[in-house]
Amino acid sequence: MKTLLIIPAYNEQENIVRTLQDIKANAPGMDYVVINDCSKDNTRKILKEYGANFLDLPVNLGIGGGVQTGYRYALEHDYDIAVQFDGDGQHDARYLSSLIAPIISGEADAAIGSRFIEKEGFQSSAMRRFGISFLSSLIKLLSGVKIYDVTSGFRAVNRSMIAFFAENYPQDYPEPDAILLSTLEGFRLVEVPAQMRERVGGQSSISSFRAVYYMVKVSISLIVSRLSHKRRKIK
Amino acid sequence: MSTKLQIFMLLALALYFVILFQLLKKKRLNLKYTILWIFAGFFMLLVSLFPQILFAITDFVGIEVPSNALFALIFFFVIIILMALTSIVSKQNEQLKRMTQTIALLEKRIRELEALSGHDKT
Repeated sequence: MKTLLIIPAYNEQENIVRTLQDIKANAPGMDYVVINDCSKDNTRKILKEYGANFLDLPVNLGIGGGVQTGYRYALEHDYDIAVQFDGDGQHDARYLSSLIAPIISGEADAAIGSRFIEKEGFQSSAMRRFGISFLSSLIKLLSGVKIYDVTSGFRAVNRSMIAFFAENYPQDYPEPDAILLSTLEGFRLVEVPAQMRERVGGQSSISSFRAVYYMVKVSISLIVSRLSHKRRKIK
Repeated sequence: MSTKLQIFMLLALALYFVILFQLLKKKRLNLKYTILWIFAGFFMLLVSLFPQILFAITDFVGIEVPSNALFALIFFFVIIILMALTSIVSKQNEQLKRMTQTIALLEKRIRELEALSGHDKT
């Protein structure tokens, strides 16, 4: 099965090479594409020197628009599986094979790499875990599906979801919204244990100052998604 | 409504329509985004020609003074137009996003073609 890793990168000059080396060492045979979301630092230069396979967005689109570019690339190049893999080094390429296993077996349409199943590795701060569990409950309430690590950016999808995401992908803080949207579409999601690392360099896309704003905004967008979406039959 | 106010309203509306049509003529406004402005203008024209409409609305909604009803109406139109603008901005945001993505996908193909033909310019 042709597998593509979609690696969104915004100002990741300190982490991107390490991420690519991790993939090369631990996930041989998988293709990848880095989406440089109009980084202001030397990310583009580093990618070019490294000889990386990358897309260069001329305008900053934010994480959702960036990842969606990757899904369009996956669709264009006829991939069977697409995996989102952060460019900041917090995801571990050794977990890729177990992440895509349920997709290969056809057990699920999407697999979410979850920190909270085996509760190992970097667990994030208590505040964030509280926020994540709130969003997780909200998604359960809105869709009936329980996913624990709803903000995990480590996820794999099959061919039909690549096509869906290439057309419909939420633009801002999209991780929880994408989960809700795909369950409402009738796709089958499964959570797979994965360990994550704390980021070493650079800045997270969610700063602590914006945490509250993030929660409010995501909650509203989830409710709006639910209200504006007719539930389809399970595929 | 006094005749004096009526005359001033008609004059203001005349100016409003002149500006609107000048902008349209110079293609500084897209007709499809201007329909709402034209509609609002015609409604105001009706109200100034036939103030009875305003009195009827004032009575119906339960406002005491017709001038307040006029303010409420104008405010309502402004809000509708603002919402329409937000919707247009959102649509353009979506179009811009898709175009940005397409440019990035094309740029990569050009880069690869240039590498193949040995013309690396960047």
